[in-house]
Amino acid sequence: MTTSMSTHTTPSGYLLPSIHSMPPFFTQQPNPATQATVTENWTRLILSYARHRRLFYLRVEDAETKGSEWDEVLRNERINRRLMPSHMSFIMADMVSKNLAVYEPPRQTRTVLLHWRLPEEWAEVLHEWASSTAQLNTILTFYEIIEPPVPSPLSGIPATLLRRAVAILTKTNRAQVIAVADGEGVRFLPGNPAR
Amino acid sequence: MSLRRYTKGVDGTIPVQALLYEDEELLASQDGIGIYDGTDKSAPHQSGIAYATTHRLFYVDAMHPDARSFEMDLSHVARTEYYAGLFTSSPKVTLYLHPIETPPSPVDGPSGGLAASEDPAFLSWTCDVCNYRNPPGLSPAASRICALCGVPRSATSSSTDGETTSSAAYQLSSSLPSSSGNFSRVTTSSSSSPRPASPPPQGPNDEIACPICTFLNHPALTMCEMCGTPLPKRVAPPRASQQIHAKSAPASRPTSPLPDKDGPDSRMIRLSFRKGGDKTFYAVLRRSLLGKGWELKSTKAAASSHARNKSAPGQTSGLSGINGILRNVETTAATSQTDMEDALKDFEALTVKWRDMVKLAQDLNERLTAAPSTSTTASALPSFTTPSGAAPTSANAEVLTTQAVEPEEATFIRSSLAQLGLQMANAPVTLDMIRDERRWIEELARELAGVLQGGGGKEKREGIMRQRGIVGLDEVWGGWNRARGVALIPPSTFLQVIPQLPQHTDPPIHMRTFTASGLSVVHTPPYTKAAFTARLVGLLSLAGPQTTVQVAREEALPIGLTQEMVNEVEDEGEICRDEGGSGLNVTAGLSGSGWASSGGGEVRLWVNIFQGYVWDGQKP
Repeated sequence: MTTSMSTHTTPSGYLLPSIHSMPPFFTQQPNPATQATVTENWTRLILSYARHRRLFYLRVEDAETKGSEWDEVLRNERINRRLMPSHMSFIMADMVSKNLAVYEPPRQTRTVLLHWRLPEEWAEVLHEWASSTAQLNTILTFYEIIEPPVPSPLSGIPATLLRRAVAILTKTNRAQVIAVADGEGVRFLPGNPAR
Repeated sequence: MSLRRYTKGVDGTIPVQALLYEDEELLASQDGIGIYDGTDKSAPHQSGIAYATTHRLFYVDAMHPDARSFEMDLSHVARTEYYAGLFTSSPKVTLYLHPIETPPSPVDGPSGGLAASEDPAFLSWTCDVCNYRNPPGLSPAASRICALCGVPRSATSSSTDGETTSSAAYQLSSSLPSSSGNFSRVTTSSSSSPRPASPPPQGPNDEIACPICTFLNHPALTMCEMCGTPLPKRVAPPRASQQIHAKSAPASRPTSPLPDKDGPDSRMIRLSFRKGGDKTFYAVLRRSLLGKGWELKSTKAAASSHARNKSAPGQTSGLSGINGILRNVETTAATSQTDMEDALKDFEALTVKWRDMVKLAQDLNERLTAAPSTSTTASALPSFTTPSGAAPTSANAEVLTTQAVEPEEATFIRSSLAQLGLQMANAPVTLDMIRDERRWIEELARELAGVLQGGGGKEKREGIMRQRGIVGLDEVWGGWNRARGVALIPPSTFLQVIPQLPQHTDPPIHMRTFTASGLSVVHTPPYTKAAFTARLVGLLSLAGPQTTVQVAREEALPIGLTQEMVNEVEDEGEICRDEGGSGLNVTAGLSGSGWASSGGGEVRLWVNIFQGYVWDGQKP
């Protein structure tokens, strides 16, 4: 067994931390202080990988079965270790408690929506995108934002997260939700973000 | 017929419990009872509640509890018969009664004196012998003897306090007025008592004048408020009693008893159970009859006095009264005195034996010590107890067969004694050797140090610790007490001694307790938490990840103990673990629910790699 600590670059181009090659990283530690470090590193790894791959959801099933988009981090074939589902549930609960994820849909603990950007950050990104693409004061449907003709930083954002971001903008008078024929639309206004 | 002769009227409005004698007990009750007087139904007693007590049978009528209820002494019952019932006929219990020798006839019940002697229950009377005033309310049998000294109530007493009895008769008549309708005996006894010719003077307001001091007492009083003289109970005016008599006389006269017609048929009473409950009631009644509660007290007293006076058989009959009581007390005191003396003698003998035993153990030890020392000098062997020395010793033994104590056997005994911890230079330290408790603990600590580490440097003996650096507390305690043999040390004292241990041991021996399991051990300095942690971390960083078993082998410690110590180090955060488990095997991982039970992989201990780890992965 190798005990050397070294970083590793995955086929998707993600640089795994050296700790990922240490077997104890995949074990839930009985010592709470040690486990806190483990959880912190796992959280960072998951969020960073999610941003890298633009993944929004993490499910317990991803740890249970092989073949999910998370395999690169949840398993380490080189040291024959994988993250146990119970350990993963523990980490997910910790992330939710730190607002780095939310259970989505609510009232279950099997799936989380990852906040690799906080809703407030998403709101800023959204407004930035709207103004940079000159779509202020025009009415956009949610679909047009999620699936824009030109790929944007918001492509594929879950509707719930988008709604939350829009709601934040509405509070600061930088967006307006309008009912349109085929559902809801939103109009972005040139607000002053400093205010 | 039988009803009138064997039963007495009671006021059924009073709860039965209140009618009981002091030594009587209510056993069972049953409603829906009809009474047969002889073979015929008794018309007035067709629906009521029957109560069975240890002494009596009560019948309380449902319609007219005040007028038609009665009680009957169970002592009258000769035998019983049970009839289970057939179709419309209810189950019945028949009570066959003893013939009464002197049947009191209701008409010519002559005097209050007779009535009082019949029913002494309501009287209080003074014992001739001890002057104890016996309270009323006891059953007839119990009230026939003095409750204090057991002397039978003498016949003279009733005559001497005729005043009391006659007044009691008045009291009886007025306390049970309801019975007069059916049972004229009581009424007539009061009306035809010898006193009415000279009735006590009565005040205009129904106050009763004391016959001695003439004080006018309140009618509720039974004794004169001034001088304590029993008061004659106020009787109804003669006219009123005459009316009752006139009313009751025609009813009672046709059925007045004819003694020669007293056949067995007429001497029985039947209880008809209209509403069931017959079996249980009959069972209770039978038990009560067998128990003979009405004579229980006297027999019990006789039996107990009999038992106490086994030393003087044949005198039991004469053992009543104060003499009997005094003799009982003397006998009991003598017996307990003898018992106490015997016990003390036994105890003294035991004490003497104990000293002998200690002396014997000392002798044996000294002789065994003497024998090896001679053989050691002869063969110049360094030690008897070292395992490597065993073979040369046995060879040596062949040479030294002429010695009084065979060295081979002695060696064997001594080495096994040492193994068991049964090896002490001196007799065990006991509290009576040293008065001061602190000094005692100190001495004990010194003794325990010897047991743990062997004697001084000169004597080549090994203690319980042997080569080990860490020993369970239970083993130490057991070994020490085995070595002491006598005057064993209780765990509380043992725990007091342990803190004194480092001052007497070299290297100092401390105690530590593992928090997780509560296991306590004594150990030498290399086994403190810090020392072990340093050693373990060193081992892990040098030899790579290790399992607990590997660590135990390295430390030459039991696996369980190693696990405890490793857990403590892990709690400190100095090491972490890799469960490995099922690796990438998916199915095995599914069954595992947590780190404690995942897969069958061995836990490998790692140096805590997370300590001071800095993220070196992809940065956003």
